[in-house]
Amino acid sequence: MKLKSALFASVLALPVPAMAQDKGTIEVLHHWVSESEVAALNVVREKLAAEGFGWEDSAVGGMSGANATQALRTRLASGNPPGAMQFLGYEGQNWFAEGVVRDFADVATAEGWFDAIAPQVRDFVTKDGAFFAMPINMHRQNWVWANKKVFDEHGLTVPGTWDELIAMGPVLKEAGIVPLATGDEAWQIQLIFDALVADLHGPDFYRRSVVELDPEALSGPEMIDVFDTLRQVRGLVDDGFVGRDWAVATGMVASGEAAMQVHGDWAKGEFLAQGLTEGEDFLCFATPSETPSFLFLIDSFGAFKTSDAATTAAQDALAMATMDPQVQREFNMIKGSIPARSDVSVDGFDACAIKGFEDRAAAVESGAMLGALTHGFASQPQFAGVFGDVVGQFFVTDMTSQQAVEMLASGIANAM
Amino acid sequence: MSDISKPASAGVAPRRPSASLSVRLAHWLPRIVLAPSFMAVLIGVYVFIGWTLWISMSSSSMLPRYDFVGLEQYVRLWNTPRWHTAVINLFLFTALFLAITIALGLLMAILLDQNIRAEGVLRTIYLYPMALSFIVTGTAWKWMLNPDLGIEKLVQSWGWESFAFDWITRPDFAIYCIVIAAVWQSTGFAMAIFLAGLRGIDGSIIKAAQIEGATLPRIYASIIVPMLRPAFLSVIVLLSYISIKSFDLVLALTNTGPGGSTEMPSTFMFAYTFQRNQMGVGAASAIMMLMTVAAIIVPYLYSELREDSHGH
Repeated sequence: MKLKSALFASVLALPVPAMAQDKGTIEVLHHWVSESEVAALNVVREKLAAEGFGWEDSAVGGMSGANATQALRTRLASGNPPGAMQFLGYEGQNWFAEGVVRDFADVATAEGWFDAIAPQVRDFVTKDGAFFAMPINMHRQNWVWANKKVFDEHGLTVPGTWDELIAMGPVLKEAGIVPLATGDEAWQIQLIFDALVADLHGPDFYRRSVVELDPEALSGPEMIDVFDTLRQVRGLVDDGFVGRDWAVATGMVASGEAAMQVHGDWAKGEFLAQGLTEGEDFLCFATPSETPSFLFLIDSFGAFKTSDAATTAAQDALAMATMDPQVQREFNMIKGSIPARSDVSVDGFDACAIKGFEDRAAAVESGAMLGALTHGFASQPQFAGVFGDVVGQFFVTDMTSQQAVEMLASGIANAM
Repeated sequence: MSDISKPASAGVAPRRPSASLSVRLAHWLPRIVLAPSFMAVLIGVYVFIGWTLWISMSSSSMLPRYDFVGLEQYVRLWNTPRWHTAVINLFLFTALFLAITIALGLLMAILLDQNIRAEGVLRTIYLYPMALSFIVTGTAWKWMLNPDLGIEKLVQSWGWESFAFDWITRPDFAIYCIVIAAVWQSTGFAMAIFLAGLRGIDGSIIKAAQIEGATLPRIYASIIVPMLRPAFLSVIVLLSYISIKSFDLVLALTNTGPGGSTEMPSTFMFAYTFQRNQMGVGAASAIMMLMTVAAIIVPYLYSELREDSHGH
C-alpha cells in the first residue's frame, strides 16, 4: 500500500517540473503523503506549472504534521526556510507573529479574498488587515458515519440527541454489533469530546470553555455533564479499541461490524474507496444536537519571507493558485473536504459534501461555526494537549467526571 | 611534549629534517586524527547540553527565546501529572527490563553452554530479534497483545474461553507490555554476551570444583557467575541506555496510550517540544533525563577509571 502510493506520487510528480523551471520554483513543505492527498495537491501543482512555475515537493509525513513542523523549525533556525508551508491550527498565526511569514494583504484585497472566506476562518489566516495564509480546504470534524443496512435491520433512525444515540447501544450490542467504533488514541477520543462540548451545551459554552479557557466553564456542572456523557459513550465501544487506527474503525462501520463512528469527513474516502454510496450503504449526519454546530479545520499555505525574486514570484503564483475557485473545487473533490472559500459552487460534489456546504452556511449564520479543538483550531497546542491528556485518560480508566474536570482545570492553569 | 616541537619550530637549518618532520608528524598525528571527532563531540554533545540547559531556564515556547525565567519551567514540569507518569514508568520499565533480560539471557547462555547439539542454530534464532528495529518489534507485539487479534483470541479459540490477556488495554498494566516486547528483543543479545563470557572461563576451574565434589548449580552460583562480572557490566550499561532512549518502541507499541499511561520521558520531551509548543518544559525534561543518566553513569565511570589506574 505504502509502496503503491509512493509510486503513484512519484509518477504524478514526474511530468510537472520538466516543463516549468523558467519563471521560478517554489519548495513546499507539507505533510500530505496519502494517495488522495497527493492527487489533490497535484491540482495546485498543475495550476502552478501552467503559469510557468516549478514545484519542489518536500513532504514530511507522520505524527499529524508534527514531523513537518519539526523540519520547519530546524530549517528556520538555520536560515533556510522553504518557500511555502502547509499550516494547521494556530501555526500560521504563530509564525506570522514571529515575523517570518509574508503578508498578501494587497492581492487579497484586490482579489476579494477577505470576503470569500467565513469570518471564523479569517481568525486563522488574517491578522489586523494582514492576510498571511491561503486556506485551501475545510474539513468538518463532527460527523457521524453510519452503516445504513445495520440501521435498517434494527429499525434505527438518525438520532436527534446524544441520549437517543446512546440509547441505540443495547439494541445493537444484543445483535452482536459494536455500536460505536473508535480507537483509543487521545485525538480520536478528543474528537468525540469536542462534539459533546458543542452539542450538549451549545456554541457559547464551547467558546467559553475550550476557546477562552474560562476556569468556571472548565470545572462547572456543564463540563461534568460532558464527561458523564462521554462515560456513557465509552459503553458503546468494544474492548478491542486499543491501538486501532481511525481508518480501521471506519472499515468496521463499512463492513457492518460496527454501526457508527464519530469522525471527520476524511473518513468518507474509506467508504468511497470500497465503492459504497452515501444514502444506500452508509449515512453521514452531523453529531446530534438541538443546536447543531459546524466544527471546522482548514489547511492553508503560508509563504516565508525571502530575498530571492524568483521564489517571491513563485510564492505569489502559489497564493493565486491556492485561492483560485476552480483549483479549490477540484482539490476538494479529490481530498473529500469542501473549499475554504464559501463562494464555490456545490455542483458536482457528493451528497455528504453538499450537506457540509449547507450546514456551514447555516452555522455561519447562527454563530455555531466553531474551530475544532482536537486539530488545534480552538486553543493553542499547549492547552489542546491538556484536553487530549485528560480526555484520553478518562476514556480508558475509571476516573470520575469530578476528577476529570479538576485535572483539566489544574492542567490548563499549569500550562498558562 | 612541547619540548619535542621546539627545535623544529626554531627553523634554523635543522640537521635531520626528515627525522624531525616524522617526529613532528608522529607527535601531531593522533591529535589531527582525533580533532574532527573531538570537535563533533564537543559541539554536538556538550555545546547542545549547554544550549538545552539555557532553553530550560528561558520562557521558550514555539521557538527558542533567549531570556531568563529561572526554574519556572522546572516547576511547571513537576506540576504536570504526565511527567510523573513518565518518571515512574521509566524506573519501572528499566528495573523490570534489566532484571528479566539479564536473568533470561544468563539462563539461556548457561543452557546453551552445555555442549548441546545444534547450538549454532539455536544461538542464531535467539539472536534474531536483535536484528529487528524497535518499530517492527513494537508493531508485531501490538497485534499479538491486542485481545481481539492476538494471543488472547488464539488461546480462546483453542477452547480456553475464560483466558484473558488484555494488559495492553489496561492503563495500569500496559507498561508491562512494553517490558515484554523489549525483553523479547534484547534477551538474545544479553545471552550472546554472557555466552562469550562463559566461553572465556577456563574449563580446568570447573573440573577442579567437580573433583572437590561441588554440584553443578553450586559451581555456577559460586564460581562461574561471579567470574562473569565484566559481562554483567557490559550488559547492564548497554541495556540501561536502551531503556532510557526507548522512544520508538513506545510509539510503535502503544503510542503512549492507553490514556497516556505508557508515557516515557523521551516521548514526553518530544511531545512538549514539537507538538505542544512548550519548548521550555521539553528542555527541562531533557535536563532531568540527563541528570538521571549522569547519576548512574558518573559513579560507574569513576569506579571503572579508578580500577584502571590501580590495575596498571
